[in-house]
Amino acid sequence: MLSIFLCGSICIQLFKKTEALLKFLLSSLPIYIPLMAILSINNLTKNYRSIRALDNVSFAVPPKTVFGILGPNGSGKTTLLGIVMDILKPTNGSFKWAGEQSSDELRKQIGTLLETPNFYHYLSGEDNLKIAARIKGKGLDDIPKVLKTVNLYDRRKSKFNSYSLGMKQRLAIASTLLGDPGILVFDEPTNGLDPAGIAEIRELIKDLNRQGKTIIMASHILDEVEKVCTHVAIIQKGVLKTVGSVHEIMHTSGTQNVASLLIELSAADNDLLKNILQGMSGLESVAETDNGIEIICPENITPEQVNSYCFEKGVVLNKLNVKRKSLETRFLEITGKQSDR
Amino acid sequence: MFNLFKIEWLKIKTYRTFWILFGGFLISFPIGFSLLAYKYMESMQNTKTIEENLLKALLDAPFVFPKVWHASGWMGGMFFILIAMLFILLITNEVQYRTHRQNIIDGWSRMDFLKAKFSVLIFFVVVSTLVVFIMGLIVGSIYSTSTTNIFAGVYYVGYFALMATLYLMLAFLIAILIKRTGLAIIIYFAIVCIVDNVIGGIFTIRESQLGYYMPLEVVDSLLPFPFKPKILEKRTMADYTLVIGAFAYMAVYAYIFINYFRKTDLKT
Repeated sequence: MLSIFLCGSICIQLFKKTEALLKFLLSSLPIYIPLMAILSINNLTKNYRSIRALDNVSFAVPPKTVFGILGPNGSGKTTLLGIVMDILKPTNGSFKWAGEQSSDELRKQIGTLLETPNFYHYLSGEDNLKIAARIKGKGLDDIPKVLKTVNLYDRRKSKFNSYSLGMKQRLAIASTLLGDPGILVFDEPTNGLDPAGIAEIRELIKDLNRQGKTIIMASHILDEVEKVCTHVAIIQKGVLKTVGSVHEIMHTSGTQNVASLLIELSAADNDLLKNILQGMSGLESVAETDNGIEIICPENITPEQVNSYCFEKGVVLNKLNVKRKSLETRFLEITGKQSDR
Repeated sequence: MFNLFKIEWLKIKTYRTFWILFGGFLISFPIGFSLLAYKYMESMQNTKTIEENLLKALLDAPFVFPKVWHASGWMGGMFFILIAMLFILLITNEVQYRTHRQNIIDGWSRMDFLKAKFSVLIFFVVVSTLVVFIMGLIVGSIYSTSTTNIFAGVYYVGYFALMATLYLMLAFLIAILIKRTGLAIIIYFAIVCIVDNVIGGIFTIRESQLGYYMPLEVVDSLLPFPFKPKILEKRTMADYTLVIGAFAYMAVYAYIFINYFRKTDLKT
């Protein structure tokens, strides 16, 4: 009996020592731990009866980025944001904020603007923000500051139903800033704003990103996304078409990984110009537009080459305009040139 | 839940419609009850004939202690429809203006939202029960001659609280499921005034006691028309069975709307 007990205790001692040794070894190994994604989405699917709004969408949002979700109208951007904010329930799939299963405490640390600004019409702007601050569990001291950031401080005591569309939008943006959250989610933030307002919001987003915040932004205004976002996911009809940094996406073209140029040309006879260009080797595409002819070619073909080629073929150009390939061209390439539904 | 109520209070304290309807109840019920008591007691003072005296004995003076609690509770129930309508309005407004979405986005869970609305329900029940109690006390004191047995029938005030809670739980259910203000109020009125009474009446005519277990009849029977003489009372079952029935209905309503609200998409 005693010998069995002794054996047992010796075994336990050995086991403990082995465990300690293993832990020591593991901690000293240079193991690479990837940066935890702020938001990771896995095979998210959402059906509205027969309409498939989202189809197996998966991607991850890296921290401290300005992550754009781009897509035509009806592509599923708002549905996606609605699901990760627990407004809508997915048919399938899951998502995690900062590695944890979504919880309400987490939502209190995220500033969100979803679709339209939803506030109490009979309350003033300030009172509406008080309610939002209380729900988030934040103090009321931030309220004057956020109102001044969006230029609504003077109208803070006016009732919400007396606000113009732009003011309503700005109040919604102010609400997202309450409590200085580390993550912000914007669904079409520039909706209803005049050009000055749009520029202000653009600067605000850049500024917030500089402060170290992660911003997720859904939009169909490519110009804004190109100016502000660092990463982008393109969605069409609920399907994720591509995801990556803006730089990557702008510099890949279809199957090639070479940066592309867009050149606008015009001549006295545009039909002839088009014919001879179609004969030029190395061009990706030749298209006729209102302003003349547009060609897309890899960066190794220079404008001088195009110019001399045309001259040799007997066409004198009256316009040659080199454009960096914009996100818009890439976007239209990826999604096709028609809007949805 | 008190914190949730404080936030709800922020929402309703400057809402004019809230004050009109709630204030309406707080003013019209006391006035209505006092007037009725005054008129009745005045007419009963002048009974000369034997028939009138017989009637008086039969009806058993509902405005003196201890029967005044019953009368106050019953009348409170009549005026309570204002509060039920207000409660439906508060919930359907949140859905119509999509502020319920905003509450969830800002950080409330689905249960938090329901608990917040439930705290408003409790508020309405507590305040109206207090008013019923106070009015009972005042009117009873004015018209009673003896001071014995003041609180003998006070359990009727408890029945009123139960009735108020059940009526509001049904309102809660309808508001959450129907979502449109106008339609919800119409359906609620239809159930309260027509459906419940009709089905209950059919059962009673067929000499069945089941009619008293209908969703709202369950609490209505605990506070019957106070001027009805006891002889005409057809109900046989004890009060406590109806109380249990009321709680059972509340549990069912809660189960339905909690499960629905937790799983649904929050759209208008």
